Amino acid sequence: MVNFTVDEIRGMMDKKRNIRNMSVIAHVDHGKSTLTDSLVSKAGIIAGARAGETRFTDTRKDEQDRCITIKSTAISMFFELEEKDLVFISNPDQREKNEKGFLINLIDSPGHVDFSSEVTAALRVTDGALVVVDCVSGVCVQTETVLRQAIAERIKPILFMNKMDRALLELQLEAEELYQTFQRIVENVNVIIATYNDDGGPMGEVRVDPSKGSVGFGSGLHGWAFTLKQFSEMYADKFKIDLVKLMNRLWGENFFNAKTKKWAKQKDADNKRSFCMYVLDPIYKVFDAIMNFRKEEIDGLLKKIGVTIKHEDSDKDGKALLKVVMRSWLPAGEALLQMIAIHLPSPVVAQKYRMEMLYEGPHDDEAAMGIKNCDPEAPLMMYVSKMVPTSDKGRFYAFGRVFSGKVVTGQKARIMGPNFQPGKKEDLYEKTIQRTILMMGRYVEAIEDVPSGNICGLVGVDQFLVKTGTITTFKNAHNMKVMKFSVSPVVRVAVEPKNPADLPKLVEGLKRLAKSDPMVQCINEESGEHIVAGAGELHLEICLKDLEEDHACIPIKKSDPVVSYRETVNEESNQMCLSKSPNKHNRLFMKATPMPEGLPEDIDEGKVNPRDDFKTRARYLGEKYEYDVTEARKIWCFGPESTGPNILVDCSKGVQYLNEIKDSVVAGFQWAAKEGVMAEENLRGVRFNIYDVTLHTDAIHRGGGQIIPTTRRCLYACLLTASPRLMEPVYLCEIQCPEVAVGGIYGVLNRRRGHVFEESQVAGTPMFVVKAYLPVNESFGFTADLRSNTGGQAFPQCVFDHWQILPGDPSEPGSKPYAVVQETRKRKGLKEGLPDLTQYLDKL
Amino acid sequence: MFFLIGLGLGDAKDVTVKGLEIIRKCDKVFLEAYTSILTVGKEVLEEFYQRPLIVADRDLCESNIDEILKEAKNQDIALLVVGDPLGATTHTDMLIRAKDFGVETMIVHNASIMNAVSCCGLQLYNFGETVSIPFWSDTWKPDSFFEKIIGNYSRNLHTLCLLDIKVKEPTEESLTKKVRQYMDPKFMSVKEAARQLVEIIANKNNDKQDLTTDTLVVGLSRVGAIDQKIVAGSLEYMQNCDLGPPLHSLVIPAPNLHPLELEYLAQFR
Repeated sequence: MVNFTVDEIRGMMDKKRNIRNMSVIAHVDHGKSTLTDSLVSKAGIIAGARAGETRFTDTRKDEQDRCITIKSTAISMFFELEEKDLVFISNPDQREKNEKGFLINLIDSPGHVDFSSEVTAALRVTDGALVVVDCVSGVCVQTETVLRQAIAERIKPILFMNKMDRALLELQLEAEELYQTFQRIVENVNVIIATYNDDGGPMGEVRVDPSKGSVGFGSGLHGWAFTLKQFSEMYADKFKIDLVKLMNRLWGENFFNAKTKKWAKQKDADNKRSFCMYVLDPIYKVFDAIMNFRKEEIDGLLKKIGVTIKHEDSDKDGKALLKVVMRSWLPAGEALLQMIAIHLPSPVVAQKYRMEMLYEGPHDDEAAMGIKNCDPEAPLMMYVSKMVPTSDKGRFYAFGRVFSGKVVTGQKARIMGPNFQPGKKEDLYEKTIQRTILMMGRYVEAIEDVPSGNICGLVGVDQFLVKTGTITTFKNAHNMKVMKFSVSPVVRVAVEPKNPADLPKLVEGLKRLAKSDPMVQCINEESGEHIVAGAGELHLEICLKDLEEDHACIPIKKSDPVVSYRETVNEESNQMCLSKSPNKHNRLFMKATPMPEGLPEDIDEGKVNPRDDFKTRARYLGEKYEYDVTEARKIWCFGPESTGPNILVDCSKGVQYLNEIKDSVVAGFQWAAKEGVMAEENLRGVRFNIYDVTLHTDAIHRGGGQIIPTTRRCLYACLLTASPRLMEPVYLCEIQCPEVAVGGIYGVLNRRRGHVFEESQVAGTPMFVVKAYLPVNESFGFTADLRSNTGGQAFPQCVFDHWQILPGDPSEPGSKPYAVVQETRKRKGLKEGLPDLTQYLDKL
Repeated sequence: MFFLIGLGLGDAKDVTVKGLEIIRKCDKVFLEAYTSILTVGKEVLEEFYQRPLIVADRDLCESNIDEILKEAKNQDIALLVVGDPLGATTHTDMLIRAKDFGVETMIVHNASIMNAVSCCGLQLYNFGETVSIPFWSDTWKPDSFFEKIIGNYSRNLHTLCLLDIKVKEPTEESLTKKVRQYMDPKFMSVKEAARQLVEIIANKNNDKQDLTTDTLVVGLSRVGAIDQKIVAGSLEYMQNCDLGPPLHSLVIPAPNLHPLELEYLAQFR
């Protein structure tokens, strides 16, 4: 552990080529936090006294108790690369001349899917990711999710195979088998990378490769790790062979014949795979000797690998000795930090290709250039990715990354929320940054200023931002892009204080909760109900606990969890729908039709989005979905929230003054798309066409007051005449279990309308992986149910996957969707029964 | 029977004798209070008519008038409208609906700004299409009325510009909510109208611009009341000309005026 003063750290911050901002991502229980510990104990900068304490980054009591990470935590580390290793860095933008020290800002993030919004927030502020995979379980659903997100954000990955100790001690895998396991994981990871990254793209090739040293192996728990570089170093002198060449030889189809001293590309009777021979064999020998207590052999081996046992450890044996030996032979920190410094990009390198993904404005304005060049002298551009609670109740540090310029204590800056639009005043504040701070696990240190390429916290900004935002000193700056989450808040509960007099405290608490979590939604329904919406049961449980104990500090009553639905239509409106404005002088003629399959998802993923060039978008829609290109050019807007998976299309011809009512029609559409006609749930996959409009000749008589409510009525009529349907969210559920438990899983899934679509054995293990779709509505209590039906052997991971139509007609009493509609209407305080078409449809 | 009764422009006493007689014998009397206002309040009217009045806002007149019309089948109900009852286009819809319900109707006409505008000396025969100038918001700046003004101007016709009034309009945010919130009442002044026109002229930078900031316009306020005010001047000048309390109207005279029109206008310069 190195001890640094704030001034020394500040000095490091200026050497932007020697900075590495990285996150650690993985599936739950693959050992991120434990691995992170070994890094911190090697290189953590501050608070030396805490060295060795387990799960350094799990700062919350419940995190320590449950042994899972809930919030992501940042820590800074310092690491010096030796002269001989510096040559591995060939890009001049990857290190400052004559500087061996590296400042590594690491963010440890949760692995449980329910908290993957934390991962998203972590990825935004980092440039590289250490992907940790448990080599026993292999690549799991969450590994894929986070890796996909990382690639989409242009985050460069490196891979670490964790829990090798289990593979050796518990599974007793043979060397060749273990190699095959590693090989498979590397392949799986590279397949995912290849799916989401274009090698010809600006990030270049990002696949991981053990022979390049971008894949590490080891055990976070036992504190040892290596890459092929470490082993090559041991042999390079002996073999008189170049280090890099040797690394290539030590992986893949390379076999060495010890008798003939010849390399071969094929396996034959006398030769052996080089990886097994030179890397795994020595490790196996050490394990074998120590675990079988062969004292003399141990001494010989230790001499060979150059490890001397310290006096205090001399009487240890078995596992304890193994740990000591492995740790001093292959220290995890050293190997990992080398990987990080050599293979992950510096901000200078990363921001060059990340700028276009990060910035909404023109790619050649001052802010864009500042980001692109990571220029500390350019105007300030900082993205706040999350809020971190302070010890001062109700206040938060705004945590984020400076991409351009410098953020300075006392500086006056523009604070722009996600709804800010250039040139307008909405969601914009010009305030002074009260204080800039360094954040180190649970400690903070005040710092004078922070230059581009670094991560820091701000004091006094929390009152102006809900969750995220852009901070800038450039007057014409656009927003930094809003983060896209891989999960959606589909599970919701209603909360109320046990004591009604505590309501103001609850409202205040909900505000704080909304800030403290990147994804949770706190909604005040117009009916007066307070809703908390989260990604899953566990996420909600943690949120509600926080709300009760930290944010509101009052006892709370909560409803059973309910699922949010979407409203859609099944066919085109069976008639042209006309609605008249209150003054009867303006008339709208419209129809609704369902979108073709795949289009709502394309919109969700941003493949079709409001910012596209309208001609390119129209061509795409024409080619892929057979939309009329002329019509597709006249998409007025997406909704709800201007980005949702519903569109409003102008199919009218020659209507005068139509552009003067466009804003009002759009406002009415946003409203209707947010609150559908059946149960005021969001719409999904509906296209509305405007066919004709009659307008009053005078602008005064066609203002918002006339047009907005009329648009909504007309859209409602369109929906009701297009056989409305409900959609429910569905989880992709991955369950790991031994073979005997598989039968029990099927039983539980069947009872809950789930269906299995894939079942396979994890190669090299007795474990099975079952993949199934499960309606979110049926998922409450699923984990407990599954455990009791499989003798506690099955563990599910559920992640939101897609929306599917809930079979049945919601307007038919007795059907399932009808019941859902009635229940929802009742909960929202709406009139029971079905919406009445005559209220919305006018006669000519 | 359903009566639509015009109240004229000035104060309580501008009602016609016929109108007053009907008001006094009706079972229910509504006062329409969103298309225009008088210089006096509801209480003054009640005292003069010796009748209680029910204020009818936009919601009532546009969305909930059906109930009232149905009542008028068996009762006499009057709706009082400032100016001429059919000056505001909205009310024709009521008459159509009344007919649908089989309710008899009667209209009592009165003076309206549409004819009283001749007080400035411009001949009524020479007016073209009337336009309204709406209040602009940050996002909504319609200027289609300007084309109509240009249309009139190029045909050598005067344009009467009615200026926006918001007596009880819902706020923009609350339009997409269930609970309506209303803006404070506001009335456009000649000053504001002139400024919007100047902005439009500045934005439409075409060369064959016949309407400029130097064009002569006439501002009128509280036409029909004792303290009515008329000012003629350039559009530029009108931008800073205070004409006192509402209501205001603006006239853009034709480019070539009759000598009599010119002579009459001269007194307001």
